[in-house]
Amino acid sequence: MKLLIQKRQSQSALFNLMTPLLCLVLALIVVALFLVMAGVNPFAAYRDVGIEALGSAYGLSETLVQATPLIFTGLGVMLAFRMQLWNIGAEGQLYMGALGATWVALFSGITSTWLMIPMMMIMAMILGGIWAAIAGALKARYRVNEVIITLLLNYIAAGIVKYLVYGGWRDPKGYGFPQTADFPPNAILSTYFDTRLHSGFWISLVLAAILWVFTEKTVWGYELRVIGNNPRAAQYAGMNIQSKTIFVMFLSGALAALAGFAQVSGVVTRLQDNISPGYGFTAVIVAWLARRSAAGVVIVSFFFGIVYVGGDALKITYKLPESFINVFQGMLLFFLLASEYFVNHRITLVREPKTPVAV
Amino acid sequence: MKKILAAVAAFIALPMAIHAEVEVKAAFIYVGPVGDAGWTFAHDQGRKEMAKLPFVKDATYIESVPEGADAARVIRGVAQKGYNLIITTSFGYMDPTVEVAKSFPKVAFLHCAGYKTKPNVGTYFGKIEQPRFLSGMIAGKVTKSNVLGYVAAFPIPEVIRGINAFALGAQSVNPKAVVKVVWTNTWFDPGVERSAAESLLSVDCDVLAMHQDSPATLQAAEKAGKFAMGYNCDMPTFGPKGYLCAPVWNWGVYYADAAKKVHEGTWKAGADWWGIETGIVDLGPMTAAVPDDVKALVTAKRKEMIAGTFHHFTGPIKNQEGKVVVPEGKVLPDEEELKMDYFVEGVKGTIAKMKE
Amino acid sequence: MSESFLRLEGITKTFPGVKALDDVSLDVRPGEILTLLGENGAGKSTLMSVLSGLYAPDSGRILLDGKPVQLASPADALSKGIGMVHQHFMLVPNHSVLDNILLAIDNLTFKLDRAALKTRVAAIVSDLGLDLNLDTPVWKLSIGQQQWIEIIKLLVRDTRLLILDEPTAVLTPQEANKLFDFLKKLRAKGSSIIFISHKMREVMELSNRVTVLKKGRSVATVTAGDYDTSKLARLMIGEDEVPTWSKVSHAQPNVLVSVHGIEANNERGTRELDDFYLDIYAGEVLGVAGVAGNGQKALGEVLAGLRKPINGNIRLRSVDVTKDWGNGKHFSIIGHVPEDRKAQGIAPDLTVDENLVLKSYKAPEFCNFIFQKNKAIRDNAKVQVERYDIKAGPSGAKVRVLSGGNIQKVIIARELGIKPELLIALYPTRGLDIGAAGFVHSVIAKAGETGMGTLLISEDLDELLKVSDRIAVMFRGKLVGIVDPTKTTREQIGLMMAGEAPV
Repeated sequence: MKLLIQKRQSQSALFNLMTPLLCLVLALIVVALFLVMAGVNPFAAYRDVGIEALGSAYGLSETLVQATPLIFTGLGVMLAFRMQLWNIGAEGQLYMGALGATWVALFSGITSTWLMIPMMMIMAMILGGIWAAIAGALKARYRVNEVIITLLLNYIAAGIVKYLVYGGWRDPKGYGFPQTADFPPNAILSTYFDTRLHSGFWISLVLAAILWVFTEKTVWGYELRVIGNNPRAAQYAGMNIQSKTIFVMFLSGALAALAGFAQVSGVVTRLQDNISPGYGFTAVIVAWLARRSAAGVVIVSFFFGIVYVGGDALKITYKLPESFINVFQGMLLFFLLASEYFVNHRITLVREPKTPVAV
Repeated sequence: MKKILAAVAAFIALPMAIHAEVEVKAAFIYVGPVGDAGWTFAHDQGRKEMAKLPFVKDATYIESVPEGADAARVIRGVAQKGYNLIITTSFGYMDPTVEVAKSFPKVAFLHCAGYKTKPNVGTYFGKIEQPRFLSGMIAGKVTKSNVLGYVAAFPIPEVIRGINAFALGAQSVNPKAVVKVVWTNTWFDPGVERSAAESLLSVDCDVLAMHQDSPATLQAAEKAGKFAMGYNCDMPTFGPKGYLCAPVWNWGVYYADAAKKVHEGTWKAGADWWGIETGIVDLGPMTAAVPDDVKALVTAKRKEMIAGTFHHFTGPIKNQEGKVVVPEGKVLPDEEELKMDYFVEGVKGTIAKMKE
Repeated sequence: MSESFLRLEGITKTFPGVKALDDVSLDVRPGEILTLLGENGAGKSTLMSVLSGLYAPDSGRILLDGKPVQLASPADALSKGIGMVHQHFMLVPNHSVLDNILLAIDNLTFKLDRAALKTRVAAIVSDLGLDLNLDTPVWKLSIGQQQWIEIIKLLVRDTRLLILDEPTAVLTPQEANKLFDFLKKLRAKGSSIIFISHKMREVMELSNRVTVLKKGRSVATVTAGDYDTSKLARLMIGEDEVPTWSKVSHAQPNVLVSVHGIEANNERGTRELDDFYLDIYAGEVLGVAGVAGNGQKALGEVLAGLRKPINGNIRLRSVDVTKDWGNGKHFSIIGHVPEDRKAQGIAPDLTVDENLVLKSYKAPEFCNFIFQKNKAIRDNAKVQVERYDIKAGPSGAKVRVLSGGNIQKVIIARELGIKPELLIALYPTRGLDIGAAGFVHSVIAKAGETGMGTLLISEDLDELLKVSDRIAVMFRGKLVGIVDPTKTTREQIGLMMAGEAPV
């Protein structure tokens, strides 16, 4: 008996959809075993996760609150992935975006309500865009690996934010604690009812729609696909890969930066150094699972929202330790990523004939 | 006459009090795991003490809740489960606590180490700088190089106060003592704490103090054959030879009090900042490594503190530039102490400056 | 002799939407050369993948010495005596011939008995009468000799069936002849060989039998003596008429593009073109002959505007355009059929429709402001697929699932679709079957009517002799000379390809 692994020539749409779902079910079964070992009834636990994350207005709103920064960063990473640019720096770009938005909100002197939010977004996009474009330019000019540059720039961005909130941007009335002053009311995105859901969510959806049109319907999206699929063919067709690399990285960073804007303006209402629990890193997985499609990013982000919120529900209701929640989330990811492999490869068991072959 | 009045008053008050009495269901939100042997462990000891009270029906906890906006979801989750006393034990929970409290006006919220209060959100903290001062005295006496090391988490007033008190304590017995500070920018990261401690040991420091949630500093000092101070709770096992003592928290004192008030219906949101006289903070047991004469000196000073005859920030105090910040004969007001953002003379280290 | 070594019975292999192999049967006997003939998309590559263990067939049996076997992987196939010689050699250039051969032996003992192994390899080499020193580093050898090593690597593993996929594509005619001698000796020693080629001359010279594949089915197996070139072509193409084509020159007296003293380096900084001069006349087909790696690729890239020359200039109708040319400003007038069609000519995961507008996606015809005109792109594909008879599969199929020949048709359709003034075609019929190659030739020749000049770079002398108005021969980045195909011989060109100036 031998395992034969072959790359699939093509996949049907149904197969593409069913494999991840099947793997999801498998993951839930494995986690259920852990739950039983922890003395928790898995059916009740899953029911509670569902109710907490989707069943109540508040739970649903929390799921969307989690999904929002993932959509922004996921879109950014997805865009770069389309061109085979591995932007691992969405976290840093998020922080630079938060920094840009905060500067406009607190220190720019803008008071106009109409200008405030747009200027915060623009500033966030400029800073986040430049942050990513640094890696793009180094890649285009000197063929420096963008994975390393974007990854390392994450730490620098987080360091800059830390430096500012512990130093110059500290709230003078905040007893020296490391955070900026609260944003003025016109720099805060409106929230709905008694939830934390803010209008940044709609902005993320609109952007996803725009990005979908751009990547699927325009000449620009076409160029991106050609470059991503075969850079040599793109060059052969007269496309300028270098300038596109810098531009796409800029856009990628600008999108991720909007997650930072949405966090400070919609959720935290000030800048501090723990505004993201790693959205920018999760975004890499989001973009990958979304198969680099804008619509996919929205769906996967929503799913991750459920996982985050549901994990907290398990923590609160069943007092499961943090490490268990990590196991739960890790399992889901592991199985989903594994499903990608099965979508792309065919694995068959080959039975050797009974009669030995004389050689 | 007075007695009668009191009895009447008590008689009138009694039925009301009985009527207002409620069973306490408390929930604690922790930033780290309960097994961190530091900050969260100390709070959890306090929780256990509170749980022993007869009217405390439930005292649960949720550990390792990341600081920041998303903590709101966890805090709201426990509030929805019917807990009537919710205690959030890290500075980063301040905004989420205030935000969730808005939706649960009948629940008492207590937030540790912050500064925002609301009708149902109180803050609480203890003057850990008092035992810090005492530990500084020990360090000042024990050191041979006159260079003390301090592994510090974040440049915020809470930590800065501790460093200054430690330095002043040391200088009070050894004018030549200086304190070198290394920032780790983390509350809990044994690896980072350890290398910070090692870097201090490599520049002549022979007594280390720390403001961290893990005992890594003690282990590094023990390995190098130097002395070290703990923090949060007594930590003798982490340094059989070099461990001196630790400024410790006894949160149970405060939590029992808060639970009692909630039980009686007398709880009011306030900004509580308790001192060594209440027992919320203290100096843990001094080990055999502390000479007896030093022990006597420190014990005497502790008594003065409890009696209220000695203040740990008593002038003259100069800042690093040599400018007098507390004149001779004055003590630093609480308000000033709460936002302390400078080091005193003799501390070698820097704090990022605020934009004017 | 009649006992089959290997027999395939009713092999079927289906890919989603395509039946690549449909009830294919063939057999190979010891000591014979079986040629596999078929149009592109007929299933040759799939069949070879099944034989070398890359694909498992959906149904059908593989019998080895009369016993059914499963081939789970190339290594498994090899262990059963079936080996494939790839077009791309897998050799370590700095190692000696012997070391490269030893690398192929997988059941070596821990203690290497070099002497014994060397004796064994030397025996094979001398047995076959090869001129090969086992201690020479591989990089010093010619391409033809390197190919021998690939074959010896299989022989030392007791491979009894050798599969050679277009082995002469990379060889000079002289080297090809030596290879044929080698293969004939192997056959005499009892080895079986499956030989894949499109060059009729080679098929006629080597084959004992020929199995013809058509649309995934094995249509006929004929024995030497029972066929001639036209019969094979008929079997392969079927009832359709073999395209006949006679050369009509459209060459005009005016020079379209001329290159003057061009020098160019490759990515590694090695000189590829050295003081190179060439004039291309409007309407003519200018053939370029040369052994692979003598600067043809650089010439193609410089003329296609993909590489900037470091010296010299390019003139378009006597106007110096060197600078703009290097910046790709003349892209719209240059058609380019690249050498490596899969690696450079297409975006494999994009659809056929999308690949057909790779050069013209920005033209107003296919683009409105920033939005693509999907209908126009689709319609264009329909027209081109029909005009060039591209077997493109269902609408929306990715171009990578197409056979090599059909991919080439996509590229040619696209490049001629922009109505270029200059066409640069590198090895445009490499790997194409006779029908497709003839089609490509007629298309190129016909496009000359409009005055389009063609630079045809090829290693197939028959093709160059048949299609070109003039043939330029290159050696080590320089032009050796230009000959008139009607007045020269294969031997003459062969000598020039080896660097000897024409007499």
